[in-house]
This record gives sequence, C-alpha cells and structure tokens, in this order.
Amino acid sequence: MKHGIILKSDMDQWFDSLKKRGKVYGPKKKESAFVFGLVHAFKEMSLSYIPTILPPKKYYLPPKESLFKFKIKPYEAAKATTAFEEFILFGVHTCDIAGIQCMDVIFNENPADPNYLSRKEKITIIGIECLDYCDSYATCASVGTHIHKGGYDIMLTDLGTAYLVHINSEKGEHLIKGKKYIRELDLETRKKWDKIIEEKNKKFKNEFKAELPEVSKVFEEGFFSPVWEDVGKRCVGCTNCTAVCPTCYCFDVIDDVSLNLSDGERSRVWSYCQMDDFARVATGEDFRPGRGPRQRHRYFRKFKYSVLKYNKYFCTGCGRCTRTCMAKISLKETVNGLLDEKRGKG
Amino acid sequence: MPKSKPRVAFFEFTDCEGCQLQVANLGLSLLELTKVVDIVNFREIMSEQGKNYDVLVVEGSISSKHDEERLRAIAAKAKVIVALGACATTGGVNNLKNLKSLEEQKKSVYGNVIDPVPDALPTRAIDEIVKVDYYIHGCPIYGPEFLKVMECILLGKPYKVPQYPVCVECKQNENICVYEKGLFCLGPVTRAGCNSWLPNYGNVCVGCRGLIDNPAANAQKDILEKYGLTVDEILEKFSLYCAGKKDRAKYEKEIKK
Ligand code: SF4
Ligand code: SF4
Repeated sequence: MKHGIILKSDMDQWFDSLKKRGKVYGPKKKESAFVFGLVHAFKEMSLSYIPTILPPKKYYLPPKESLFKFKIKPYEAAKATTAFEEFILFGVHTCDIAGIQCMDVIFNENPADPNYLSRKEKITIIGIECLDYCDSYATCASVGTHIHKGGYDIMLTDLGTAYLVHINSEKGEHLIKGKKYIRELDLETRKKWDKIIEEKNKKFKNEFKAELPEVSKVFEEGFFSPVWEDVGKRCVGCTNCTAVCPTCYCFDVIDDVSLNLSDGERSRVWSYCQMDDFARVATGEDFRPGRGPRQRHRYFRKFKYSVLKYNKYFCTGCGRCTRTCMAKISLKETVNGLLDEKRGKG
Repeated sequence: MPKSKPRVAFFEFTDCEGCQLQVANLGLSLLELTKVVDIVNFREIMSEQGKNYDVLVVEGSISSKHDEERLRAIAAKAKVIVALGACATTGGVNNLKNLKSLEEQKKSVYGNVIDPVPDALPTRAIDEIVKVDYYIHGCPIYGPEFLKVMECILLGKPYKVPQYPVCVECKQNENICVYEKGLFCLGPVTRAGCNSWLPNYGNVCVGCRGLIDNPAANAQKDILEKYGLTVDEILEKFSLYCAGKKDRAKYEKEIKK
C-alpha cells in the first residue's frame, strides 16, 4: 500500500501499536510554546503546533552526546558509541524533515560520522503535513519545504475526520502491516485530498521578494552590505538563533574525567558561531570578531556556503531564529533587505 | 599535584558562607571527593583545623585591612588558589558598599556611634589582592561546577569559565524565554555555567555570575527600553551583582554611549 486512510478515532490504537517498536517522541504543549517530548498516549500530543522551541535535532544530534568512554589507568582504547535504541519521531513538520535531510548530507560526508549514522538508522520518522502557515515568521515556501520531498517513513495529512497515510519506506510499511483499520485510499477520499492540497497551495507564497537563484546572487554580492552592520548593532549575542536552528550542526568536543581520575567520557556539545569565543584560537586571535560579522556568517551558512558546497540551501524556513530573537531580527526582513538594496542600486 | 592526596582548605571572608554550604550539600559526591583529596579545613563540616594545605579555596570578599593581611598570609602557603562564589570572584553583592563613600555607608549602617570597624576598606574581589588560578562564579555556586573545577585541579588542567551567556543553557533546557512573559532577565549578558538555574524555575537571571567578557550592553539596553526600562533602572539591575570594577568597565563603556 502506498496511500492509506486511518480514521482519527483509530489513532489511539495505532499509536499504542507504535510504542512496541520503541520510545515515541512527539510535539507537546509547554506553556505558550511547544516542545518535543516523550509521549505515552496519542492524546498527549498537540499535532496542530507551531515549530517547537528546539527542533527534533535534540534526538539525533543531542546537545551533549557521548562519543566514547575511556580509561586512563590502565589505559584502554575506546570505541565509538554506536549502540542506540530504536525510536519514533511522531508528528514532525515537513520543514524539520528537511532539516534532518541537511544533517544527513553533513554527517555522511567523508569521513562519515559513526555516531550520527548509527543513531539515524534507528529512527522512524512519522511526519505531519502543514496545511497552512505556522505564523508569519515562517519562510518555508521560499525554500519549498512546506511540501515534503522524502526523508520520512510515513507522512500524515489531515483530511478532517481521518488522516491520509503516505507510506514512504519499508519501515513505514512495517508500521501499518496487518492493521485492519488502515484501509487503502479510495477514489472519493483521493478527490477530497486533492481539494485540500489545492487549498493549501493557495495559502503558501514565496516570502522573499525574489526566487532563490536571485537570493543566492545577492548573497554573493552582499558581503559588505550595511544590512550586516545594522543586524550586528541590534544583536545581543544571546546565541538563541543558532541554538534553535535545525540545520546548525557545529559542535565542540570535551572530555569529562570522573573523580577517580581514570574513567572518562568524551562528548560532543553544541557550539554556536554566535558565541563570543567561537572563532578565537589559542594565540588569542579572533577570526570573526563582532556581532555583525557573526550574524553575516550565520546567514551565509544558510544561503551561500552550503549552496556552493552541497548545492543545497541550509535554511528550512522554520522561522525559529526569528521567533526566538529578542532583538526581533527577522530572517525574512534581512534577506528582503539585501534584495531591496540590490534593486535600489540596480 | 603531589603523589599523596592533595590537601584542600576552605577559608571565608566577607560573605554568608552559602557557597560552602553548597559544597557541604554535595552529599555522595563530596564523599567521592574525599577519596582523592584530604579536606583539612572546612568549618561547616569539621572541627579539626589543618595548618598546611595545597589547594586554598577562598570564599568571600575582602573588605578590611585585617582581611587583606590574612588573605595574603594564607595564600602564601597555597600552591593553587580557588575563588569560590561571587563574593570572592567579583565582589558580588558586597560591591554595593562601594556605590557610596565608606563614611556614608558606615553612617547609614551604624549611625553616629564611634566607628566600630575602623579598618574597613572598600570591597574587593580576592584577585585584586592575590593571583587566582580557578574561578567558581555564582551566588551561590552551582555544585556540579565545583566538582568540575576540582576535577581540573586534580588533573592539573585549567578550567574554562563559559564565555557565553545563560541563554545558551536556557534554550537547551527549552525554557520559555522570560522576556516573552514580560519579565526582565540578565541572562543574555551573564556568564553561563549554572545550567540556567533561575529561569528553569520560572525566575529571571539576576546576573550573579557576572557579565560575559563582551556583553552587548547597548543592544541589551535597546531591548530593555522596548520593555519600558530606563537606563538608570537598567544600571540598577546590573548593579546588584555586577557593580565590581571589572564588570562595570564591561558595560559602562558601551551603555553610557
Ligand atoms: S535559519 Fe532560521 S528559519 Fe532557517 S532553518 Fe535555521 S532557524 Fe529555521
Ligand atoms: S537570537 Fe537574535 S539577539 Fe540572539 S544571537 Fe541570534 S540574532 Fe543575536
């Protein structure tokens, strides 16, 4: 089966069957926001949510991740931690799935990252299609991530009283096998689905003032733009924009040794280009001083460097950086600012 | 470090001894620690008093001539000096004393009686008198960080105090930013390392660990002004914990622009 239908009233039992495969993490309400967390019952989740504070990245590239354990006395060579448990990410937005696809590119690059890849093998991703904008901060249409393009095992689309179940992998197939209550998509529901998608497509419009090739071009020419100076003046350097980004993958490596001074653990911890000492080296030299150049770097990592290197935009348009910025620095305004500037000059 | 267990001594000056209490409260970890170090002086947990030690842990700020002399004397015997808690690392709340002249402060505290503390001096952090090897910031200190510093001392490596703001930890803990609740928080300009202790419980960061090296005081001011705070009110927020010499220099150069 490629496309199935499940009634919303059957979601509880389907969800319970998923738990047999492993822990399930899904979006949950937290005060005025949402976070991914461990879910025990379907009703604990809020499937109609705006992007969570941290992306589901915290499960496949944890803020602090053990790489290996070592022993000093007597010395024992360490092996990478590669044994991970199966788990399911439930209700992942299409933009966050695009974020996972970016990570796949990074960690598959030679030399491939054993921790990431072994963990990734154990993840089952059940996505949920967005039918309308989360809020005005999202720029997903500009990069096309409001439409799913693989990277998941199952995708759910809300059809009112039921969900459309798009099965996209063997793992996904496995999760619906033998479930009598998931039936094959019929012609009538197919029409309903087409209608819903037609409505959806009317709602999403490129949020930038130009198409991506032109955006990429203004980045090429806008390295010395006053836009960066302005952004740098307003930025407080809190690092939040990098902390919440689903495609930021920089990390630092640290060793912790226990008080017996022999048993230790090497971990990688998230590290951000917005940190003051991120580009400072042993001699004290700082290769990227100042908040303006640091912000510029962040944007260039999303719209230029990754395009040159991987032919891929590393912004998923999730809007988290804008949503979290206390200085109200907006990705949409910054990119459009560059475009305006070029056109003004042009 | 010598082959035998290094000896550690705790001494206190002008403070509330709350940071030592944090150490005393470490429970099992403290017992673990005593397997690798000898604690020879720590009046909150023991009555014996050793005279010789390798690692000197100093809590409290220096606020009199007598304190200063005593600190120099105990420091001379130590191989490693650790500043424990805000009072020792930056002067902490004791810096509030320096906001007015000594005479004025004495008068407001003791009235017009004969000066009961004739050798009082303006508050100083201990590194204004002796060289400090390890800093454990905070009011009070964060227990896990104390253990981390002990580990570094035992391994003979430096401890790098985080130079990034509390927001880093706060975001990783997925707290709702308190600014979104309409509160004012010093997290964006305060050194991390406490695992965003206060915001985790819904409170605002009060800056007890001192300012990061390059606080964007001006940008922070813009933000606070948006929330209706005046420059004076902002400076007052900074002054509870960040009125020490070094911290003042960090924000005044930018904020007064
Ligand atoms: S740059 Fe901003 S909008 Fe783009 S993926 Fe990162 S957090 Fe989302
Ligand atoms: S979230 Fe905003 S203020 Fe914080 S570092 Fe990013 S751009 Fe600067």
